[in-house]
Amino acid sequence: MLLRYGGLLVTLLTILGIGVVLLPYFWMVSSSLKTGAEVFELPIRWIPQVLQWANYPNALSRGSFGIYFFNSAFVALAVMVGNVFFCSLAGYGLAKFRFPYRMLCFVLILSTLMLPLEIMLVPTYLVARELGLVNNYGGLIIPLLVDAFGIFLMRQYIKSLPDSLIEAARLDGCSEFGIFWRIILPNCKPALGALALLSFRDTWDQFLWPFIVASDDALKTFPLGLAQMEGIDSAAYHEIMAIAVMGMIPAALIFLFFQRAFVRGIALTGLKE
Amino acid sequence: MGFPGLPGISMKLGAADRQDVKGGRTMRRFLVPQLLVGLTALLLCGSASAQTPLTWWEHSNPPHNEYSKQLVEEWNKAHSNTPIHYEFFAMTPYFKKLTAALSTRSAADMFTVIDTLLPSFTTKNVLGPIRPEWLGYKDLEDMKKAYLPGALDGYIDNGKLYAVPPIASVFSLYINKKHFQEAGLDPDKDYPRTWEDIGTIGKKLVKMEGNRMVREGFDFAMHSSTWTMWYFNTLIRQFGGEVLDASGQNCTANSDAGVKAMKVRAMFVHDYKISDPTVSVGTNALPADDLPKGRVSMFITHAGSVAQFGPEVMKDMKVVPFPQVNPDKPVSPIYGFAIAMNPHLSEEKQKQVHEVMKFVLKDAKTWYERTAYPYPYKNFLDLPGMDEARRTNYLDVFIHDISIGRFIQRSPQIIEINEAIHRAMERVVLRNEDPKRSLDQACTEISRALAER
Amino acid sequence: MERNVAALGRQPATPDKFAFVRWLPAWVGGLSIWSRLRWAGFLFVLPALIHLATFKFYPMLEAFWLSFHRYDLMSPPVFNGLRNYQVLWENPLFHQSFWVSATYMFGVALPEWFLALGLALLLNRQIPGRSLIRLAYFFPIAMSQIVVAMVWKFMYHPHGLVNTILEFFWIGRINWLSTEETALPALIIIGIWRGIPLFAVLYLAGLQSIPKEYYEAAAIDGAGPLQRFLHITVPLLLPTILLVIVMSLLSAVKVFLNPLVMTEGGPNGTTRVLPYFIYETGFAYFRMGEAAAASMVLFAFVFVLTLINLRLLRRGGLE
Repeated sequence: MLLRYGGLLVTLLTILGIGVVLLPYFWMVSSSLKTGAEVFELPIRWIPQVLQWANYPNALSRGSFGIYFFNSAFVALAVMVGNVFFCSLAGYGLAKFRFPYRMLCFVLILSTLMLPLEIMLVPTYLVARELGLVNNYGGLIIPLLVDAFGIFLMRQYIKSLPDSLIEAARLDGCSEFGIFWRIILPNCKPALGALALLSFRDTWDQFLWPFIVASDDALKTFPLGLAQMEGIDSAAYHEIMAIAVMGMIPAALIFLFFQRAFVRGIALTGLKE
Repeated sequence: MGFPGLPGISMKLGAADRQDVKGGRTMRRFLVPQLLVGLTALLLCGSASAQTPLTWWEHSNPPHNEYSKQLVEEWNKAHSNTPIHYEFFAMTPYFKKLTAALSTRSAADMFTVIDTLLPSFTTKNVLGPIRPEWLGYKDLEDMKKAYLPGALDGYIDNGKLYAVPPIASVFSLYINKKHFQEAGLDPDKDYPRTWEDIGTIGKKLVKMEGNRMVREGFDFAMHSSTWTMWYFNTLIRQFGGEVLDASGQNCTANSDAGVKAMKVRAMFVHDYKISDPTVSVGTNALPADDLPKGRVSMFITHAGSVAQFGPEVMKDMKVVPFPQVNPDKPVSPIYGFAIAMNPHLSEEKQKQVHEVMKFVLKDAKTWYERTAYPYPYKNFLDLPGMDEARRTNYLDVFIHDISIGRFIQRSPQIIEINEAIHRAMERVVLRNEDPKRSLDQACTEISRALAER
Repeated sequence: MERNVAALGRQPATPDKFAFVRWLPAWVGGLSIWSRLRWAGFLFVLPALIHLATFKFYPMLEAFWLSFHRYDLMSPPVFNGLRNYQVLWENPLFHQSFWVSATYMFGVALPEWFLALGLALLLNRQIPGRSLIRLAYFFPIAMSQIVVAMVWKFMYHPHGLVNTILEFFWIGRINWLSTEETALPALIIIGIWRGIPLFAVLYLAGLQSIPKEYYEAAAIDGAGPLQRFLHITVPLLLPTILLVIVMSLLSAVKVFLNPLVMTEGGPNGTTRVLPYFIYETGFAYFRMGEAAAASMVLFAFVFVLTLINLRLLRRGGLE
């Protein structure tokens, strides 16, 4: 009996949880449809008196948001692909091969996650400048192509893949890279999906680096456009929220796209011992 | 720059190339990648044009940026051989970007600075001195005469001018006429002139519901250490003191004047009980949002708020001069943004920048109309067409306050000083700590900041 | 070839049957296949290493170098030995920041470890409308961080949403962001809210790698849900658990935007996390050398912590 009610309880909690989790999002959407004065009215009014659909086109006209969205999408996709490739490559190398100083490499790679970007800002900018990566797409994409988090993620996941898979492929005469490409990658779909989603979102959301490295309006990304809408001490928050709502769509789309990777039950049967 | 830098990379690649004597095949292996890298770099760096445009950076402030863009278009049409390339950036991180760019010598030719940061930049030689002669004045004294008294002081360091302000902003007192009338007061006659007035009048305006304050009589904004300093520095001056001594090396914020200033700052919360401190600390998205929403009856904010609030809200508002301790010795806080110049420009480029500045600054009336900030010209009020503005937009009040105004204490460590005072204020207002003790702690922190390290 | 491999199926990592062969001396037959394997591994990691060396190691080393200099970002750096570290040690604000960061770090990470796992387990079940529910739970990740700050700042307003709910339950109002005792917990709650979906995604990915058959076999053997969880899920999920623990700590320690936008480190410094202190000291006060020194302290602390984690969770894939 406990089990039966347990299931119901779990479902109820889930729905309640969704409600709680989505409250800020609801506020965001409702604010995007209010007039400027209504946004910060207290007590909170969830449904605006009149739905201000005009906020959306108005907000878009405040800056070259078409360009900003495109740039963000382009950069985020490029970085996502790069991340997925390089991080899984490195993760595989760290997970399944025993070469000297392997652990040192791993720890060194992890250590790149331990310093906040702020302190590395000026030196990294100098490096980018030496390599001609300032104020162009290269500067927005290349420094982000490899992320230690992705390497860590892939390494942990690949560790759980059976060695016998790899050995069998080797015995069959497959090249090392071929093994990576044809055996490992297809078996990593959940982790690749997670990495793709998180990498896309992180890049889409990045503010500080694009802000420092790009000065041309034509290169600005979405978060820069969003931040620009704030004046010294005034801002059209209803329009900012409209832009923010639109900004969530790409990440949501990517998530839906990669959802399939999280579907349980990859079609492999258990190993006969 | 003194860094163990990365300049040798391209050289190293070339060296490996030359040393490799295994014959043409190996050479060619390196050649193609190098060519590709070079080509990509060239493409990525963008086309090098014959004449490089003049770059101008501004912080984001929507009405202001629109006008600037318009000016740039006009200029570019008239001067197609010396175009301006204009960019604006999100306000808060703007100075981080500017700092990073200045430190790597990649800043624009012309950029906005805020007056409080001027000493920080001039002591590090990252601003080029402005030459009044190139702006059409005889010399600096001549230029000062054309502006309101003291309006240029914030941008002068060691006798040289480092930035030219297109606007002057000042803090004044905004009161809600409707609330006054409801309480049986006449907003035109009974408005507060001193801080004590605010207290007594505020008591008639504050509204409580049980023990919840639903309408404050008066409040200070608490969201930014710079705003705190604008209030505090002015208060301490009204009491005859100053935050730092004349040498700028010792902290005098904990003097009697400072303690009195802090007491005034906190008295509306603790003594008069017309302020609810927690409503504004870090919780208000807009510093001056409570006033137009009727949640506070009197509020000190800057001149640009008139345009921000809009004519609807302003119908119920009245602007009066900044409150004083001693009406015979008035002081008010002024600040502003100004256009500064990159110091590493050729003489010719510098002249160009001055020409652009002259062009941008020439139309005071339009600046005011578009940005709603007063222009610091001496004869600003006498320009044709200003009468309307004087009547509805309280321009008289602003110009009056600007003329008694003083910029915040100049110091390269101003931000650390602001933060120390802000923390002291938080302790006094939120925790009711003794003002002298709080200021003593602030002075310890300030002395540490000022000490040579 | 693929078909043969697929038929072999998958199993948890067992000791490599050919392990002993790897230890054959390399001189046997020149570049033996096992030696080749080692170098292949290294070559796979090499592109990442090169990239990280350029864009991360080099700036990190520069930051280390800077920590022994006085540098105001505009003038050339001047060597001053350990002075920066000494100044930091004597600065009570630095100590306060350090403890604020440590509190925040563990305050956010610990609940995340468990709540994210709970969420992942939940979302792994066959509930109707699973896709939509998953999408709903992942919205906090999709929200831009600036927007999160704005939205939550408004929710924490004394008359805002959180207090409205609390009043509904007769708990009364709390001035979240203006009271020294509640400001940091308020930020911690936001951190957890945003982190749970993120780590749930990681857990979900890890859960996919556990074959259903194990659960079925265990159920047939009579193991209850708790036993299945403890003896199948947890051991097989260890690599992911290690990932989540380390990453949750690492990402919490770098958090900086929320304190910046929402409380500016206040009130009275109770939310000034170390990255904020570093940013302020470097970019606002123009004391880049001291900021670099503070980062080095942060780095050392996090580095040691990570090493401890890696060692403790050795079985999570470290051998």
